[in-house]
Amino acid sequence: MHRAFNFFKRNLKEIFRDPVIYIFCLGFPLVMLILFYALNKFTNGNTLIFELQALLPGVMLFSYSFVMLTLGLIVSKDRQTFFLKRLYSSPMKVSDFIFGYVLVGVLIGILQIVLCFVAGLILSISAGVQFLSVGEILLLTLWQMPMLIMNVFLGVLFGTLFNDKTAPGICSVFISFAGILGGCWMPIESMGAFETFCRCLPFYPSVYIGRVITNAQNSFGVSYAFDNVALLGIVPIALFMGLSILLTVVAFKKNIVSDH
Amino acid sequence: MIKIEQLSKNYRSKKALHNLSLTIEQGELFGLLGVNGAGKTTLIKILCGLTKKTSGTITIDNLNLDQDMDKIKEIVDISPQETAIANNLTVQENLEFFANIYQNNNPQSVQGIVDIFHLDEVLNQRAKTLSGGYKRRLSIAIALISKPKILFLDEPTLGLDVFARRDLWGIIKKLKGKMTIILTSHYLEEIESLCDRVAILSQGEILQTGTIEEIKTMTGAQSFEEAFVQLVERKNAQSV
Repeated sequence: MHRAFNFFKRNLKEIFRDPVIYIFCLGFPLVMLILFYALNKFTNGNTLIFELQALLPGVMLFSYSFVMLTLGLIVSKDRQTFFLKRLYSSPMKVSDFIFGYVLVGVLIGILQIVLCFVAGLILSISAGVQFLSVGEILLLTLWQMPMLIMNVFLGVLFGTLFNDKTAPGICSVFISFAGILGGCWMPIESMGAFETFCRCLPFYPSVYIGRVITNAQNSFGVSYAFDNVALLGIVPIALFMGLSILLTVVAFKKNIVSDH
Repeated sequence: MIKIEQLSKNYRSKKALHNLSLTIEQGELFGLLGVNGAGKTTLIKILCGLTKKTSGTITIDNLNLDQDMDKIKEIVDISPQETAIANNLTVQENLEFFANIYQNNNPQSVQGIVDIFHLDEVLNQRAKTLSGGYKRRLSIAIALISKPKILFLDEPTLGLDVFARRDLWGIIKKLKGKMTIILTSHYLEEIESLCDRVAILSQGEILQTGTIEEIKTMTGAQSFEEAFVQLVERKNAQSV
């Protein structure tokens, strides 16, 4: 375990000394939160999915996809520079490598969560409206953990499978998917068949149940409720999270003794 | 120390190594010499457990590569062709990171390595800002952190200027006799200057093994370069 923790410390230093993390992982989600919040204010609060309660679960999901990008970059660079290959010849085990990468990803995700809530709190104070309760904050954080874990593992997976030129491109596709298919910025509930499709993927159900927790309202002005959409939504979230973990472990194991 | 018997490695239809047999004694500085694509790096990767062999038997320090890879990993280390260091970490942090991986908790041994490689002046500098020569020194220094019985140096002076190269030769000479070193290179003067014994590889096969003098005598050549060219050309002619 000490080797995994040692590797985690190295990854932490490597990532936090690169400005990319401050721009993408911490800065960009914050900009999106403030931007859409301001947009709603300028339209006299007519865009209900841009109200803080509806916006926060979406921004959180969106920000996790940048954790995936960051991890994809570091893993692919570590492979490209032969750094990982060198470590493969050491007594480190597959679990040490995966733990070292995953833990740093989860830590970045938690930082994003804190940042989103602090920004949300400041915005709500400035607007003179009530913010989420502590219980709601904790429940939302806990609920979105599987999506954070899925993104973290996908980052390691893409970094393992692709080089440092291709991995960011693949991650960008997923970032767009998270924003569009998660209904972070658009009212998917009014899109018929497209909504049905989105319910089969993990992004929309995660945001949907997040909005149930924050007592948000959808574009029709109806409060999100823990209905069948929410209940069935647990299935794709669990499925995709499990799949991302499984594929990452298999790919990483295979990569250790590659024929390249 | 290292015994290789009938080793073959195929990448799909391409034969990277073919029926290669070799013995390397303890404490030797053994050179693997060959042109690009001769199979030097493939051989080293197999010995470090980074690539699977297709067939053959390998014993390292009486441990069987197929059964005891975990134990072998504790006694071997490699400085790869690529510098393979953590770029955003300082020189000191790089050394500490690898010392922790190999559970080397002796700060004196780490300091000893810093002294050998003259890394004092760049200890707090981030690795990505180092010159090529220093990066290479750090890479080899890292490989020594694990106190390996066997050290693989894959093209250790590749891309370095003549001064940095000679500087590194001096360091490698200091390591001679303290551990078994297997060095790959396509620089003849490097092999000639450093190695006790040499194996000349071409197209995945060993053409000749011995000391520089033995190889010169066997081929009847005046210089080592002439002997090398003669052996490789003879092999190329046979292949055609």
